[in-house]
Amino acid sequence: MESSAAAASPLSAVQAQFIQGGVAMVVASSSAQRLPSQARAVGCSVSSDRRRVTMLLRRSQCAALLEDIARSRALAVVFCQPSTHRTLQIKARDAVAQPPASVDAAALSRQADGFHRELAPLGYSAEWTRALLGYAPDDLVAVSFTPLEIFSQTPGPRAGERVA
Amino acid sequence: MTLTLDAIRECLEGSVPSTIATCAQDGTPNVTYVSQVDYVDPQHVALSFQFFNKTRENILANPQATAVVAHPESAATYRLFLRYLRTESDGVLFQRMKAKLAGIASHSGMAGVFKLRGADIYRVLRIEAIPGPAVTTAGPRRNLLAALRATCARLNACGDLAALFDETLAALEEQFGIRHAMMLMLDEKQQRLYTVASRGYPASGVGSEIALGHGVIGVAAEHGAPIRIAHMTSEYAYGRTQRETTAAAGLADQLQREIPFPGLPEAHSQLAVPVLAAGRLAGVLYVESPEDRRYTYDDEDAMVAFAAQLGTSMQLLRQAEDAEDPAREPAAPQASAGAAVTVRRYVADDSVFIDDDYLIKGVAGAILWKLLSDHLRSGRADFTNRELRLDPSLHLPDVADNLEARLILLARRLAERCDFMAIEKTGRGRFRLKVGRPLKLVDMARPTAA
Repeated sequence: MESSAAAASPLSAVQAQFIQGGVAMVVASSSAQRLPSQARAVGCSVSSDRRRVTMLLRRSQCAALLEDIARSRALAVVFCQPSTHRTLQIKARDAVAQPPASVDAAALSRQADGFHRELAPLGYSAEWTRALLGYAPDDLVAVSFTPLEIFSQTPGPRAGERVA
Repeated sequence: MTLTLDAIRECLEGSVPSTIATCAQDGTPNVTYVSQVDYVDPQHVALSFQFFNKTRENILANPQATAVVAHPESAATYRLFLRYLRTESDGVLFQRMKAKLAGIASHSGMAGVFKLRGADIYRVLRIEAIPGPAVTTAGPRRNLLAALRATCARLNACGDLAALFDETLAALEEQFGIRHAMMLMLDEKQQRLYTVASRGYPASGVGSEIALGHGVIGVAAEHGAPIRIAHMTSEYAYGRTQRETTAAAGLADQLQREIPFPGLPEAHSQLAVPVLAAGRLAGVLYVESPEDRRYTYDDEDAMVAFAAQLGTSMQLLRQAEDAEDPAREPAAPQASAGAAVTVRRYVADDSVFIDDDYLIKGVAGAILWKLLSDHLRSGRADFTNRELRLDPSLHLPDVADNLEARLILLARRLAERCDFMAIEKTGRGRFRLKVGRPLKLVDMARPTAA
């Protein structure tokens, strides 16, 4: 069951690990007037069958984005690893925003630490990363979706190519 | 209070990658990283267009976009609401971004991958501060306005061009903390810039040349715009300048005619600012640093304002030189002693060698040859700028001849390379040639390999 369910998700195990590994994450949607909205996410979790991805965002930073997702259910998320420039974009059409069922503070902390390890060699302090990813638990909102299309955006001639 | 683009320019230095969100005709959003969101003016930014991708497709169909930028020190983030206007693939803005991108690419290990195809110009409709924690920053390292004020006062007090050049570089160090700087003047005819003053290098490099379009200095001169790079990049490095330009000129066997460019072996930050006098390009003020990100948008503004003052001072001093002081007592005949020295002049490029040592070429070489010839023929030692201007053998341009700068160049090369000849200013528009040894002048019709 597990393998067939996983096979149905376009998200590979390697990609799932990558997007949960402490990379930069930004979620975007758009209004009825096609005005784009975007906000940085502080956490990402993937269901065990890889069919559902949940991003954690700070509600105070993304009012327009949440409105747009509620209206269209369409979103795009970009994940980027600073040290390698490896970049993935995932698109979905069934996104739902809701209060997080539970906040795994340890997992968020692991991702922030991972992100900091990426940025430290570039000269950014731990304080800087904490400021960028800092959150109040009651400010968090969970945006969940089923990955529909996956694109590689790693800079180079193949940037923008659909990979799944 | 409404946020302005000027207030958040540090977020536009390219240190922290920005994201841009766009939307397709069918409403599908797209989000991607962009290497550069560059400040154009208080109402516009330019985004680097490097790859044909969905963002490009989207903005051509729907010009609305949002970008998020972050402050490299405080981590404060801002959302910019943008409208795409056009793409520029040449010109000042393009050249500025191309240089800056080369630094960013090289710093992030993407040299050869990041290539600027165009500068996408967007109007900034609105800026929103995104609430969140921020790091307390130390603030700017110095008050640039105070430094600028003091520096301009120092320039105003200069009585001649040589003092102006030296004071410029001293003030940069003392007022701005800039320890490596040089002043280059334009040779319009040769389409090259030559160094007349430098500070902070083991060798002055006075007389070294940069071709128009070469590196940040050459590009700044060619496009009449400041060029600034925040990270070391081989694309704009001056390490191999001399060899390359010499080879390009088909003079590979004559390397000894080149004066090494004095710049830092590894400049991480570079800023070149054109200096205009009476609306024409007169030269380039160049500052560099072994540190990354040493010069910010604010430093660039300060240098541009400073260069404007420098250009005005140059123009005023140039006009003052035209008004000649009355002639003084002629110099007493000079005693020359010691073994005779052979001075060779090669007609092809007016290069002058003292025995076998290269001294100078071009207009400065032609000037020296004329002075020495006159001196040997008639024993003259006192000369005026005006007679040089009228001498057809010097091939000086009718306007903007920079004669005074060429005399400074010649005087400095002599001071560095020759202990028995000197040129000294004796008043406005007047100078004296001093020769301490017997000379033999040899005119070479064609340059030959040494």
